[in-house]
Amino acid sequence: MGQRTHRPTSDPIAEFFAELGRRGHEPLLEKAKGSARFEVTDGRRTERWRVTIDKGNLGVSRRNAAADCILRLDRSSFERAVAGKLNLMAAVLRGEVGIGGDVRLLVLLRRLFLKPPRRRSPTARKKP
Amino acid sequence: MSDGSVKILNGNTFVVSDTRGDIEASLTDPTGLFSYDTRFLSKWVLTINGERMNPLSVDDLEYFESRFFLVPGTGTVYVDAKLSVIRRRAVGNGFHEELTILNHANEPVDLRVRLDAGCDFADLFEVKDALKKKGTYSESVKGGKLVLAYVRGTFGRSTVITSSQPARVDKNGLSFKIRIGPHGKWSTQLDVATEALGFEEMGRVEDPARAQRRMRQNLARWIDQAPRLECDLEPLKATYRRSLVDLAALRFSPQVAGGRSLPAAGLPWFMTMFGRDSILTSLQALPFTSELAATTLRALGDWQGVVVNDFRDEDPGRILHEMRYGELTAFEERPHSPYYGSADATPLFVILLDEYERWTGDRALVRELEVESRAALNWIDEYADLQGNGYLSYERRNKKTGLENQCWKDSWDSISFRDGRIPGFPRATCELQGYAYDAKLRGARLARLVWRDPALAERLEQEAVDLKRRFNRDFWVEDGEYFALALDPEGEQVDALTSNNGHLLWSGIVDKSKAKAVATHLLGPRLFSGWGVRTLAEGEGRFNPIGYHVGTVWPFDNSFIAWGLRRYGFKDEAAVIAAGILDAAEFFEGRLPEAFGGYERSQTRYPVQYPTACSPQAWSTGAPLLLLRTMLGLEPQGEHLVVDAALPRAIGHLELLDIPGRWGRIDAFGRGRVNVEGKGQRA
Repeated sequence: MGQRTHRPTSDPIAEFFAELGRRGHEPLLEKAKGSARFEVTDGRRTERWRVTIDKGNLGVSRRNAAADCILRLDRSSFERAVAGKLNLMAAVLRGEVGIGGDVRLLVLLRRLFLKPPRRRSPTARKKP
Repeated sequence: MSDGSVKILNGNTFVVSDTRGDIEASLTDPTGLFSYDTRFLSKWVLTINGERMNPLSVDDLEYFESRFFLVPGTGTVYVDAKLSVIRRRAVGNGFHEELTILNHANEPVDLRVRLDAGCDFADLFEVKDALKKKGTYSESVKGGKLVLAYVRGTFGRSTVITSSQPARVDKNGLSFKIRIGPHGKWSTQLDVATEALGFEEMGRVEDPARAQRRMRQNLARWIDQAPRLECDLEPLKATYRRSLVDLAALRFSPQVAGGRSLPAAGLPWFMTMFGRDSILTSLQALPFTSELAATTLRALGDWQGVVVNDFRDEDPGRILHEMRYGELTAFEERPHSPYYGSADATPLFVILLDEYERWTGDRALVRELEVESRAALNWIDEYADLQGNGYLSYERRNKKTGLENQCWKDSWDSISFRDGRIPGFPRATCELQGYAYDAKLRGARLARLVWRDPALAERLEQEAVDLKRRFNRDFWVEDGEYFALALDPEGEQVDALTSNNGHLLWSGIVDKSKAKAVATHLLGPRLFSGWGVRTLAEGEGRFNPIGYHVGTVWPFDNSFIAWGLRRYGFKDEAAVIAAGILDAAEFFEGRLPEAFGGYERSQTRYPVQYPTACSPQAWSTGAPLLLLRTMLGLEPQGEHLVVDAALPRAIGHLELLDIPGRWGRIDAFGRGRVNVEGKGQRA
């Protein structure tokens, strides 16, 4: 899944946000403007990450500040999300992911978790 | 849905009850209170002294509000008129009901009033397919409130019922012991509120009185901002008004649209976001309101596919087919989160964006959606040309719960050969090629005009020319002089004669030299019933006048066919179709159903409604609007609106005043001169 390093990362969530920070710009979010707070719960502990988006430019911090929208989910769910294995919409519907605030921004943020494909549709077959 | 049911709705919350206002749903029966695809109340029965009510009349006050006049006692011979009961109900977050009992006697009366309540929390899919639940139910009384709940893991839905008057609340309902004085009155306000765990937006509570005021003002503004129709034909005015009101009712404000609205598909099965239906309805409504188009484009753009996902039949650039919010979607037992299995929504997305710009001149939105539009155009060639033969085709990758037919005729038997055989997959239906052609040309216009990418424009135009040339060669049925319904996986023509030919005229993909023959078929006795064009021609192997997509007449289909006829200059033929559909609307009190029977008009005299058709349904509601546009020949040209009317004689004088667009507001006038009598029918 496009890992940049051979060393297994001990914390895929920290790595996910670090990667967002390194990415700097995400063309799929050029329309979006605002901030999002991710609350990752692990037992009694809650880690907070804050992501700002301005015309596709991403900023990541650990500041516990107000945000336009909030996503709250537990660690294992988030790990599946960053691996591209969690359908966020379905997870919200079944209460596995809590959301609040600007829902349109949340819809666009979903694009951060999607791994763009490297191949054509599986049923696509070129005839000679 | 049985006749005699009363429906009120607001966005994707709706209540269906009997004429007494009671709800007694079974698993397979779509009555109850529904919100976000979940039934929040399946039992709601009023009794007084143990007796059920007897209905006197129902007032549909507004689309979101109705009033039931009742008397106790079910006896049909003798009705005790000493008591009157009025239930006034409005949809909001759940519903609000004002229950009033009037004592007409000279003596006081003691009454036991009872409301039985219960809920199965069925997913609409379960109602449709009669499936079993996997979670657990509970009923509890908390602080005078009755709480009905359903929990499955992290998924929770509940209904909270409260009364303004003190009630004895138990797990199965509310009881009132009351005394009403002579000629006195007793009244209570009942609230049935819906709640969802973790999905806080859904349970947002608004004061019912305020909500109703807001909805009433909103409806008044909606009607006020639409163009005014004046004409000699009263039923047409009624149909027009009905269409505007129903379109208002079917507006749906998904959270993703920031409070703006787009058309949901229809009651009862499709109160949700649909790619194809929302786009086509927005196209129909463009001359009357552009708000629906703007919201539809934004919401569908936000949800555009990004990855390849077989379960959801998702590809990068693909526009969604259907979004659902119920339990089965939440647990991924159904793929609607969202489901992308539609082959036409993606090119139609580009078509709507271009048509929207032509009407409104709003280039900001065209710029805003540049990334999405390019991705959509890319999808057509990169992901939808499944056979590598230059044609858009479809084959579901979700073999269990995906859709087999990903065109508008999506029932299993809709695509067939003349002899009734069903082709294999992938299927390249003809109208998809027309939409792809039109999307490329319109995309080219936007690329040149707004995105400043002449190279893309040139490439798209070249591809369109090439597609048109190949299409007119490969799809043309020589011995029938019409276009085949589809090409099968071997490239053979699926040769049944269908209404899809009309969509081809609309798209512009038809060679001029072939248009006359196509128009003759559309108005000919095998396709035209006298009311409209049948989905499948009489005489074909699978023809059935009450077959969903194999013989019925769809008003929406006909509105696009009429538009197509106009495009190729067949003004009178377009007027004939418009006249037939608008005549049919009269029989449904201005509310066209999804589909009606394809029987010969001279045989039945009235249009026979298809048994389980959705009504109201968005694109049927939009049909009279597009037919008005077509008859008046409204066409934006640069900064102007061209009017070139060709109206059926029966319409007489017609004015459409204050048509909004990039020109500000313009009036259009026309006088009926086309003789439609006996056109297209058997001599």
